[in-house]
Amino acid sequence: MPAPASISTLIVDDQMTMRALVRAALNQIGITEIREAPDGEAGLRSLVSSPANLVISDYNMPKLDGLGLLRAVRSYAPLKNTAFIMLTGRADIDLVARARQFGVNNYLVKPFTTQTLKQKISEVFGPLG
Amino acid sequence: MLADEKHHIVQGEYFVSEDPRAVVSTILGSCVAACMRDPVAGVGGMNHFLLPGEGAGQEGLRYGAYAMELLVNGLLQRGARRERLEAKLFGGGRLLKGLTDIGLQNAEFAERFLQDEGIAYGGGSLRGDHARRIQFWPVSGRVRQQKLVGDATAFAAESRPRERRAAQEDIELFDDFGAGRRPAARETGNDLELF
Repeated sequence: MPAPASISTLIVDDQMTMRALVRAALNQIGITEIREAPDGEAGLRSLVSSPANLVISDYNMPKLDGLGLLRAVRSYAPLKNTAFIMLTGRADIDLVARARQFGVNNYLVKPFTTQTLKQKISEVFGPLG
Repeated sequence: MLADEKHHIVQGEYFVSEDPRAVVSTILGSCVAACMRDPVAGVGGMNHFLLPGEGAGQEGLRYGAYAMELLVNGLLQRGARRERLEAKLFGGGRLLKGLTDIGLQNAEFAERFLQDEGIAYGGGSLRGDHARRIQFWPVSGRVRQQKLVGDATAFAAESRPRERRAAQEDIELFDDFGAGRRPAARETGNDLELF
């Protein structure tokens, strides 16, 4: 039962508003060690310089999209065990299938509730303490 | 001259086009519509959303952010660039006195979103005590607003806008959609002109 405070998290989304809302939901769950990146490329740079336990990433982003970030993370040995949750829209069923092929741990359909976010994280890490 | 290609959206929907003939319309009470475009790429679109639940609560804000994201992503996928996006906002009216002013919450969310995301705000028509019919030509950026005057309760449930009946007053907006420039607004009786 991991303590939420021990899960370092990187939020990757090109919308500042969405990053702020994900951060607020994580704070409610008790996750406080949070970094943000505005696109996949910046997210990858952030992870390479300092790994995280969990990545919560949007799909549609400039430079490097969420799927590209996931593939990069899985193909780089020091990062390959990073937990990865993809944020998707309701219509992105094909995306979920492709993300699964590339080793995504879970996905979260927007607009999501804090309870759903907590559930998705628990499915990856086990019940949160 | 080719005829307009007409599209109508209701709450929860959005429409994006790069067709100069396209015109998208919607009817707004307390809901808000963002009319957004990239004038260089020649693509634009409109959404129509209402913050659910407590409106400005976390769940409501997430819904609103998602509604805006769908529109922005739809534009980006058709060649728009985020830094060139400009938007006008309409709606957020208070049709029923005495209840929580959900229209105000919708309007404030939309204004805050544009500010936080660095999207140029080109004005529009928010708040007030009336419903609106909006027509938006996504490529030219032209917007036409009709103020709908009638029984306020007729506009409260926005799920069936096509069936609404109301006295209408036509208002033409002359609109060059200048980036980063908020047009002056002048109210004259029931008419609103943006210039």
